Amino acid sequence: MSNLEISQDSINSIYPKVAEIIADALGCDEDEVKPDSSLINDLEAESIDFLDIVFRLEREFKVKIPRGKAVEDARGELSEEEFEQSGVVTDAGFEKLKSFMTEVPADRISSPLKSAEIPKLFTTETFCKMVIREQQG
Amino acid sequence: MSDTVESLDGGLAGKNALVTGGSRGIGRAIVERLASSGMDVTFTYLNNEAAANEVVEANPGLKITGVKVDARKSDAARECVETMIERVDTIDVMVNNAGVIRDNLLPMLEDEDLEAVFSTNIEGVFNFCRAVVPFMMSKRSGRIINISSVSAEKGGRGQTNYAASKGAINSFTKSLAVEVGRRNILVNAVAPGVIETEMSQSVRDLAGDEITSNILLKRYGLPSEIANAVWFLSSDLSSYITGQILSVDGGFKM
Repeated sequence: MSNLEISQDSINSIYPKVAEIIADALGCDEDEVKPDSSLINDLEAESIDFLDIVFRLEREFKVKIPRGKAVEDARGELSEEEFEQSGVVTDAGFEKLKSFMTEVPADRISSPLKSAEIPKLFTTETFCKMVIREQQG
Repeated sequence: MSDTVESLDGGLAGKNALVTGGSRGIGRAIVERLASSGMDVTFTYLNNEAAANEVVEANPGLKITGVKVDARKSDAARECVETMIERVDTIDVMVNNAGVIRDNLLPMLEDEDLEAVFSTNIEGVFNFCRAVVPFMMSKRSGRIINISSVSAEKGGRGQTNYAASKGAINSFTKSLAVEVGRRNILVNAVAPGVIETEMSQSVRDLAGDEITSNILLKRYGLPSEIANAVWFLSSDLSSYITGQILSVDGGFKM
């Protein structure tokens, strides 16, 4: 699914609830959660927190978000080999990621990018888009 | 029951527990112990509906519910947890007790003896923990108590399959404790020695006095003595204990 199909309006419509869920899950103030906050770098989330957040989003929005779905969606039509090699995102993968994760400020995405570092890019809006994609089927 | 040790609620009154394999033996004793502290206890059983009904009927006034669930099936475990959450909102304590024994000398063990022991004793623990942990993470609170065995650490003839499954429970317990500690979920195991239950009857018959002579306390344990350890690890009194394997074996392992 193309990134362009998700409008800012639809993101805005669920943003308050998503921000509240993220704040709850991370035990921080809602004020600290911004649309472009990196959950790992700015809000000190750990990988297990992502599972908690996704679990809460699934229950709140009555959707099922398969684990690893965000990166899979970002990869799009690229095969795993085309997207990353030896743990580093390829040039093609990098371009794909940048165009897919438009919510991430450009200065945070730089090449070379290790695939293990992709979750560090995830922002509050990334989770909004995750939910919307599943809502749209 | 006022002013007795048994009447201590340990902060458990009003909380909810899920116990797998609760219709007989140690599981039943755990169900009754937790319920007598004022917990709402749901237990699972595989086949023996009569025994399950007996647990409920023998304890009028306690909040005990039996549900037929095959712990070996992950979908069934997930459904059981979700149904319980819908009914009581939270699961504060999860006790993974369901287990089977298929003792035999290694060359005599059939494939189904391995399958039966590993699927119930360890896959069942995985299934219920995977289902319950997300809810506990959201609550930032929870206790998971896995029932291991002295066999996990003390070699026993004819117990390669059972011992391996219980050793796996010990390793599982420690790793899960690491994963979820930050979320205030405490994960421990209780390792019973030889306890007077139907399940251990064949072992006790086979060994005769050989076992009791090696137990420091010179007797078998009672299901209620395991239930007391589980109660402690469920209660507020054990709030700084996680990742531990608590042996309750009368000194058998020493």
